[in-house]
Amino acid sequence: MEGMNILDQKFDVAIVGAGPAGLSAAYYLAKKGFKTAVLERGREVGSKSIYGGRIYAAPLKEIYPNFNSIPVHRWVKRERISIMPDYESMISIDYQGKEAISFTAYLTEVVKWMGIQAESAGATIITDVPVTNFYKENNKVSGVVSGEDVLRSDVVIDAEGVNRLVLEASGIVKPLKPELVALGVKEVLKGESKQIEDAFGLSQNEGLAWVFLGAATANTPGGAFLYTNRDSVSLGVVVLLDKAIANVKDHVSQLVESLRTAPALKNYLQNLRISEYSAHLIPEDVWSLRPERLVYDGLLITGDAAGLLLNAGYTYRGVDFAAYSGYLAGKAIEQAHAKGDYSAGSLSSYESMLEESIVIKELKRFRKVHEVMKNGLLFEKYPKIMSGVMKRMFENSDGPSKAWDAINESCKENQYSMLKLLIDGYRMVRSL
Amino acid sequence: MSAPERKLRLTDIINVNIWDVDSKPHIVVNYDKCKNCPTKACVRLCPTGCYTETENGILFSYEGCVECGTCRVVCPMEAITWTFPKSGKGIFYRFS
Repeated sequence: MEGMNILDQKFDVAIVGAGPAGLSAAYYLAKKGFKTAVLERGREVGSKSIYGGRIYAAPLKEIYPNFNSIPVHRWVKRERISIMPDYESMISIDYQGKEAISFTAYLTEVVKWMGIQAESAGATIITDVPVTNFYKENNKVSGVVSGEDVLRSDVVIDAEGVNRLVLEASGIVKPLKPELVALGVKEVLKGESKQIEDAFGLSQNEGLAWVFLGAATANTPGGAFLYTNRDSVSLGVVVLLDKAIANVKDHVSQLVESLRTAPALKNYLQNLRISEYSAHLIPEDVWSLRPERLVYDGLLITGDAAGLLLNAGYTYRGVDFAAYSGYLAGKAIEQAHAKGDYSAGSLSSYESMLEESIVIKELKRFRKVHEVMKNGLLFEKYPKIMSGVMKRMFENSDGPSKAWDAINESCKENQYSMLKLLIDGYRMVRSL
Repeated sequence: MSAPERKLRLTDIINVNIWDVDSKPHIVVNYDKCKNCPTKACVRLCPTGCYTETENGILFSYEGCVECGTCRVVCPMEAITWTFPKSGKGIFYRFS
C-alpha cells in the first residue's frame, strides 16, 4: 500500500482499545500463548476509562482466577431507588441484602488492573496509539492502521468502545444517531471514608447504589445515580440523547449541579469536593446499535462497540458484559486457530457463545425495558402522581387520607385515569 | 435559615480535570453549517461547554473536551468532523 509504513513485527492478534473488553480478550489469548498486541489511544491504560460506578462480579470471577486482587472500593449491600417529583422531596424504596453481587470501583483503576493481568500473561500493550482503520489483505482484516503505520496480525478484535470510529471508517457501521445512545455526565465528590460511611449509614467496605428518577433528569427518560466509593461519591445523570435534545433546556451539566445541591440530598453530600468531572455515551437501543454481524473475515467486535450493554432500568451492566464478550472473543479465536481458519464462518462461534451466555440472555430478558423507558410517563407523570399521593397521605393537616383516596385524587389532579395507571403498572411488571 | 447552597460554575468544575491539550484541535466545526442549525443542541449538551453561542454564531473550543462524542451525535447539520486527540493527548481520567 502506497504511503503506508508496514511494521516488520507481526502479531497473532491485534486488539483495538485497552478497555474491559480488549484487555480481557488479551489476558485470555496471551495466557493461551497467542502473541497479542493491544493498541490504546490513551497515555496510560485506564486514562480514558469512565463509567457510572458499579461492576457486577460474577463474569469477572470466571475470567480472572485472581479476581480477589481487583481494586474494589465497596461491595454494594444496599440498593435504593428514589422517585423525585422535585428536588426537595423523594419517595424511596430501600433494599438491604446479605450477599453482594456487585461492587463500586474507579474504572480507571479496574482497567489498569486488567492491563497488569494481560501484561503478566504476556500481552503487549502499546499506549498513545489511536487506531484509525483496519488493514485489509484480500478483503480480510489483517491488521490495524494508525495514521501511516500498519501493524499486521492474523486476526483483529475491535474493542474501541461506543464511539466506533474504526468500524465507521471500514464501513461496517454508520455514525451514531441520538435515539441509539444516552449521555451520562458524572462528578466524583471526594471526602474521607469515615465521612462516607457516616453520611450513608454504611459499615466499612459496604456500599450503596442509589438511583433517582423524575426531577433529577428534568423528567427526561434516563436516570440519575449515586454510588459510594471508598472515600468518594460518584454522582451522575443519564439522559436519552434524542429526548435530551428536546427536553434539556439548561446546560446538561446543570442537571448534576442541581442534584448535588438538591435539598433532598443535602445531608448526604456535605463537605465533599469535586475531584473529577466526566462524561460518556452509553449504548441504549442496543439492538439497533448492534452491527449487522459481530464477526467478519479476520475481525470480531466486542463490548460497547458491539452494543453489549444492559440498561435494566434501575441499573446498568456494561463493564462485566464487555469483559465477558472479550473473553468469549478470545475463546472463539482459540477455536478458529485450531482450525487454521479466521474467516467469518470460522469465527462465528463467538456469536453463538455470546448468544448462550449471560450477556445476550440478560439483554433479551430486559428487551422491553427500553420501550418502557422511551415512554416518558415513568419520568414525568408517575413521579407527579406518586408525589401527590404521598403529600395527601403524610402532609395532610386534617389527618392522613386513605391511600386509595389519595391515589384517586392525585390521578385526577394530574389528569390521568386510575385504570390507565393500573394497566401501565401491569405492563411494566410484565416487561421486567 | 440555612446558608444558601454554593453554586459552582462549569468552568470551575471542569478545572479539576487533568488534560494534556494537543496543539491542534481534534474536532473541526464548519461554522457555515451552524448558521442554519435548528437545534444548536451542542451548546446545551456538550457536557464541558465547548460550544458557546455568540452574536457571531457558534464558537467552539476543544481544550475542555472529554472526548465523549455527544456533539457529533446531536449535530443535525453534520457540521462536526470528530476524531480522537493524537497520541495520548486529551483528557486523563483518574477517578472515573
